[in-house]
Amino acid sequence: MEVAKKILKVTVNGEHYELSIKAKTTLLELLRNHLGLTGAKMACISNSCGACTVILDGMAVKACSILALQANGKEVITVEGLAKDGDLHPLQKAFIDHGAFQCGFCTPGKLMSAKAMLDENPHLTEEEVRRDMEGNLCRCTGYKKYIAAIMDVAQKL
Amino acid sequence: MKGVKVAEYYGFKAEEYSVIGKGLPRRDGPAKVTGQAVYTFDVTLPGMLHGKILRSPYPHARIVSIDTSDAEKLPGVKAVITGKDTWGIRFGFVDTPRYPADQSVLAEEKVRYVGESVAAVAAIDEDTADEALDLIAVEYDPLSAVFDPEEAMKEGAPEVHGEQIPAAGRTCAWEDWGVARKARSYKPVNNIGATVMISYGDIEKGFAESDYTREDRFVIPSTSHAAMEPHCAVASYDPFTGHLDFWCSRMDMEQKRYWLSKTLGMPISKIRIHKSYVGGAFGGKAAPFDFEILAAFLSRKTGRPTKIVLARDEVFTSSNNSVRFDVTVRKGVKKDGTIMAQHVKLISDMGAYRGSAPVALYLAHSMRDAIYDIPNLLHEGVGVYTNKSITQSKRGHGSPQLSFALEMQMDWIAKDLGIDPVELRLKNLRKKGEVLPNGDRLDSYGLPDCIKKAAESAGWRKKKGKSRPDRGIGIAVGGMFNGSGYWPFTGSAIVKMNHDGTVTLYNGQIEFGQGVDTSMCQVVAEELGLQAEDVNLVSADTELCPTDFTNWLSAGTFVSTKACLRAARDVKEQLLKIAAEIMEANVEDLEAENRRVYIKTDPEKSVAYDEILRYNIQKHGGDPIMGKGFAKPVPEVEFYPSLSKGTGRWTDAYSFTAVVAEVEVDRETGRVRVLKLTIADDCGFEINPLICQGQLEGQGVMGMGDALFEEIIFEEGRQLNPTFVDYDLPRAFDVPEMVTIDASDYEPKGPFGAKEIGECARGAVIAAIVNAVNDAVGGKIGSLPLHPEKIFKALREKETA
Repeated sequence: MEVAKKILKVTVNGEHYELSIKAKTTLLELLRNHLGLTGAKMACISNSCGACTVILDGMAVKACSILALQANGKEVITVEGLAKDGDLHPLQKAFIDHGAFQCGFCTPGKLMSAKAMLDENPHLTEEEVRRDMEGNLCRCTGYKKYIAAIMDVAQKL
Repeated sequence: MKGVKVAEYYGFKAEEYSVIGKGLPRRDGPAKVTGQAVYTFDVTLPGMLHGKILRSPYPHARIVSIDTSDAEKLPGVKAVITGKDTWGIRFGFVDTPRYPADQSVLAEEKVRYVGESVAAVAAIDEDTADEALDLIAVEYDPLSAVFDPEEAMKEGAPEVHGEQIPAAGRTCAWEDWGVARKARSYKPVNNIGATVMISYGDIEKGFAESDYTREDRFVIPSTSHAAMEPHCAVASYDPFTGHLDFWCSRMDMEQKRYWLSKTLGMPISKIRIHKSYVGGAFGGKAAPFDFEILAAFLSRKTGRPTKIVLARDEVFTSSNNSVRFDVTVRKGVKKDGTIMAQHVKLISDMGAYRGSAPVALYLAHSMRDAIYDIPNLLHEGVGVYTNKSITQSKRGHGSPQLSFALEMQMDWIAKDLGIDPVELRLKNLRKKGEVLPNGDRLDSYGLPDCIKKAAESAGWRKKKGKSRPDRGIGIAVGGMFNGSGYWPFTGSAIVKMNHDGTVTLYNGQIEFGQGVDTSMCQVVAEELGLQAEDVNLVSADTELCPTDFTNWLSAGTFVSTKACLRAARDVKEQLLKIAAEIMEANVEDLEAENRRVYIKTDPEKSVAYDEILRYNIQKHGGDPIMGKGFAKPVPEVEFYPSLSKGTGRWTDAYSFTAVVAEVEVDRETGRVRVLKLTIADDCGFEINPLICQGQLEGQGVMGMGDALFEEIIFEEGRQLNPTFVDYDLPRAFDVPEMVTIDASDYEPKGPFGAKEIGECARGAVIAAIVNAVNDAVGGKIGSLPLHPEKIFKALREKETA
């Protein structure tokens, strides 16, 4: 079946892309299947696990549940864009130091949610962090260590 | 830090360890925090096709016809297969002389549960594959179905399976693995597909000698493992060489390879299972799955790599959930609380195929048998076929279910007799050094310490019976084995000396979050006087690693890491011997540290590992120094234990956990908030305390989900909540304060004294939370999970009473 394609212009991790995609392509499909950025994962496709979280113009979004075309003309940051010039982002370092991940499948999504949250307000209480991270499911860690990792970074900002 | 007690006891100091006993950062960290870690979910191969599976909408129906012609004509569709292509092939988690494997790859004459695989397609992309599924026309003739195990056992109930007759010449897995008994056919009577009866002592006498007896019934539903990475597989069959390359989100590589070989009829050596990171397992990725075999079938048929990723609802309906138990416990005790007799009756609603239920019926008993001294015991279980989805091992495998029942009943007995629950437990414990009825010996037994430390840390004495009316406190304990001789397989390892004096470890364990990559390398580094980063790791690949069948049964540390330690020790012995030759010294006068071998009394004299290596290659025929190690639980016993009778040695060591839970109950809504979990664990020795804490905290929250939220809800065999929207999982805001305590008892057979830590706590957490809730509401809620309405009802009943 022929499906109409649309032109999409988007900036991902500082790189400018112009490509032709099916209108139904999700942002997650764009990242994983078209751009080869497989850091964002998919665990539910029901907008309920947060494993696909990326940052779109400063806001954490679930890439499985928005269309790639909604990112037209905008800037996307994925987990691959966190480390700069060979240095890990403070959140990435803190996640390693605190043992804040186990299987790691949900980790990219958590990092992006945490980054968006701290970028907006670095002075969060632990309770606020726990509320803000409600959208990111984790089955391995029991959440404690990664909340501690985020608080650690927040306190240093 | 943990090692201290052990160290004092054994006359060495924990600080003498330089690599183990330290919470070193995990070696999978950089890959996982940068998104570079490759999971099977991320694997893409050139020319790869996408496979999808058509599933049964009926719980029980005869397949009249399947028409695939329209699907085959759809452009982009490369293969469509049905039961005709896989007819007669059987596989299953259990495939023994007594219980032949009962699962087909695609449904043959009939479907037995909603979600069963009926046909599979491979197409150039996912959309085309989905469209092709819509074009397959299946005509069903619905049959009467049965969903309740007690109904299923009645005369005249719908028959889920006829006689299971192994195909002519088909050997069962146990025969293939060297057990000299032939597969027989199995005829389920009243849908009973498995039985267990274990007894010791004299149960009637035990009850006769009891001052007090009570009987209670408990119901435990299925829950989802809910590993974040959905089940998925990539198969790549090379038609020119006949080799199959395979990636899947999995646990044990040998089991996966064995079943691919058996179902595809391919030599096992032509199948390679590759390493990929695994996004969580929790026991739910151990069994062989139809979709894995289908990916390989489709790849072989098309000659192209084929990937199948299950959607989350398929993970729920078609890749097995935890084992459902209905438990009746009758217990007899003396006035002083001494347990005299225990009679457990288990009914397991297995679902449409056996899954792991026959094993779980046994394990439920065996893992708890190391906890309490019960002189007279009868443990009876039946596994019953119903038209529901299949059930499977989940973190603790049967033990959490029975722990919930037994530990709750212990509290009710304590209340009835006016004995403190902590004291009642301490009174009935086994003793260190004791030999269990099946012959297993408790060389390490940290459980008394676990209980005392958890109770003390949580302030049990101050709080029990004295807290606010909306608050409650509860305690529970759990036990877990450390691998089993049940599987006649080995954990093994190779350590290779590198040119610069570092080493490379080759071992088959897969990293699914438990931290094994890191802890194995710490052990090897410690033994060889290296830093953890001096150990390179090649793991989880059947072609690159030596045989390893221990990526389950909580055997990773106790068995496979012991193999790594022995391989390192082999290298060390070689290094010392060659260094002795170089320095003209005696081996016993030498010590290995910091990549050098020293003379103990004269440390100025030393030789570096890389020099030793070069010397050995030159002087000893090119020998580049490699060590090998292997390990097996209960090596002195050749034969497997009887699951159905509970006789025979099972494991070399048990781990233990005690948990104290504190909760707050909203008396208006019945909603529970867990305030604090205090988890004290005996894992022998914490090789990496940070990873150990993570395992306990993970089980704390997973157990809280089991206790309060999680349940797969069925209606007429159909799952009503197969999504993360409708299936309630613990989230960040639900997390209580968690205190983890190391109460380990050095295990002489473990590597550096270590035992498992990944499974033991979950059951104790569940029971402790439920005990705490019942403490708060003064109720006796005996079914999981504790939804607010159950608690609300209990509160109202109490008020009206």
